[in-house]
Amino acid sequence: MAIADKDFELIRDFIYNICGMFFHTTKKYFLESRLARRMDATGVKTHLEYFQLLKSLRGSEELKFLMDEITTNETYFFRNVPQLNALENKLLPEIVEIKNKMGFRKLRIWSAASSSGEEAYTMAMILLEKRATLLKDWIIEIVGTDINETVVAQAKEGIYNAYSVRNIPDAYKRKYIKEDNGKFILSPDVKKFVTFNKLNLYDDNKMIFMKTFDIIFCANVLIYFDTASKSKVVQHFYNNLQPYGYFFVGQSESLHGVNDKFKTVHFPGGFTYKK
Amino acid sequence: MDKNSMMDKARQLVENMDDLPTIPVVATQVLQLIEQPDVRIEDVADLMLTDQVMTARVMKMINSPVYKPEHEITSLKRALVYLGLRHIREVALTTSFINAFDEDKGAMELSAFWEHSFGVGMVSRIMAKKIGYQDLEKAYIAGIIHDLGEVFLSNFMREEFQAVLDSIKGKPIKLVDAEAQQLGTTHCEIGLCMAHKWNFPEAYCEVIAQHHTPSDATIDPILCAIVNLSDLFCSVRELNYGGREWVSFNLVEEEAWQILKNESPKLAEMDVERFCYDLDDAIPDVKELVSSIFTAKE
Ligand SMILES: C[S@@+](CC[C@H](N)C(=O)[O-])C[C@H]1O[C@@H](n2cnc3c(N)ncnc32)[C@H](O)[C@@H]1O
Ligand SMILES: [Fe+2]
Ligand SMILES: [Fe+2]
Repeated sequence: MAIADKDFELIRDFIYNICGMFFHTTKKYFLESRLARRMDATGVKTHLEYFQLLKSLRGSEELKFLMDEITTNETYFFRNVPQLNALENKLLPEIVEIKNKMGFRKLRIWSAASSSGEEAYTMAMILLEKRATLLKDWIIEIVGTDINETVVAQAKEGIYNAYSVRNIPDAYKRKYIKEDNGKFILSPDVKKFVTFNKLNLYDDNKMIFMKTFDIIFCANVLIYFDTASKSKVVQHFYNNLQPYGYFFVGQSESLHGVNDKFKTVHFPGGFTYKK
Repeated sequence: MDKNSMMDKARQLVENMDDLPTIPVVATQVLQLIEQPDVRIEDVADLMLTDQVMTARVMKMINSPVYKPEHEITSLKRALVYLGLRHIREVALTTSFINAFDEDKGAMELSAFWEHSFGVGMVSRIMAKKIGYQDLEKAYIAGIIHDLGEVFLSNFMREEFQAVLDSIKGKPIKLVDAEAQQLGTTHCEIGLCMAHKWNFPEAYCEVIAQHHTPSDATIDPILCAIVNLSDLFCSVRELNYGGREWVSFNLVEEEAWQILKNESPKLAEMDVERFCYDLDDAIPDVKELVSSIFTAKE
């Protein structure tokens, strides 16, 4: 069933308000097809009725099923290009200048909810390219963490499939990826900058020790948390970030109403948060 | 570079330009007519209808979802009534401005220019509404014309302007700063000279001159701040001159944000993230409007 604009807006607003994830109109048909599956499964006949189900008492349970349908638990290299451009063009040079002045030549980056490691390794590649110039003689520390031990192990291994590497610009691919029988193997030069650990973002005792980061990524995971947990986790990120640092969420995510201390810094195609 | 010498440079450039487009005759007549104390909207409509392209463009501008009329406006007279006499002059000027520059011969395609301009017009109108600014139409038109000077640079100083664009490609440098540095003047001063030549109302002249420096405005600082902020938002979503400029800003540090928050404190709670995403969604409407305005010629 084709979704009416009005119903699309109701459901998209609902998802945005609860999850902090925005569905652009360009993804209307995608949402429509996924809603169809959930309507089948629940026996609900119209989009409006489904919306009412989401708002009802058992709505939070249904929302979990819906989120499973509309988010893909995927990750890949160079996933968020506008973000990477902003880092390269402006944010990194800015951080480097500040730290140079302090005589503190060390960069610390955290990919929280790193899954199989693509986000962390993407940063490693980008920074590695700057070893001869901006980051000459700098120490680079990239940490990836995830709750799921299986993906942490995969990240440590650094072997990927074609889907995962499809967005890597050729110049990087040639330098840092070796193809072997349909498997894509990451160069040890990249791997050596990144360490991976198991970490649950809900684990306050461990979160307080993740200190002094210049850049933190937490993309495509907070959308599954309820508002109170989001606020708590984001407050940890806020505390763990250097005063001049930046905190990034995913492509169409929003922290509005989750934390009122972070300020938005805008750049073409996205924004980031600053203390 | 001080403001006076940039202004001198701009004046010199605009004065010495022989083939600077002029305002269509009809627009001049409209402007004269609405100065009459007993003017009737019917008469203005009749006069404007003698210029079909202008009529078609006014109708397109007013009926687009970008402008959000309550319902479709089907006659020019209704459009003029809807706008009110005080805005007819501006609409005539705006469409003249569109007429003056509807040929693609500059360093940047006109569609990119007009998409930015109408985008800023649309966002200015929304911001104006948010902060309770009394005249939404004025905000819309101010947004449309704010970068007037840019077309002059693109069309009449093609090579120099291309060099400026090349020099900032992918770099976090504002176009206006690069212009000042490399050309000795900017689209703000040039636009102001053109606006004077074309007798634009004072408040619009100020927007053209001060939309990058809203705290220097004296006539209508709120309007300048609205356009400034809308310009910034358009610059970070896909209404940024086809990506020719790479702009980044920290919202709370922007003077326009401070000015508007003083005017309307509840602005502090605005969901800017959502605002940006909604803006993305409105971009197809802006593109559609621009292409329809330019096919109005055929
Ligand atoms: C879609 S992936 C995001 C990968 C990467 N950040 C990206 O945006 O491409 C979501 C990851 O969040 C992890 N995750 C879910 N809940 C978590 C929690 N409470 N603590 C840490 N990681 C969690 C999952 O294991 C999964 O690997
Ligand atoms: Fe401008
Ligand atoms: Fe502009």
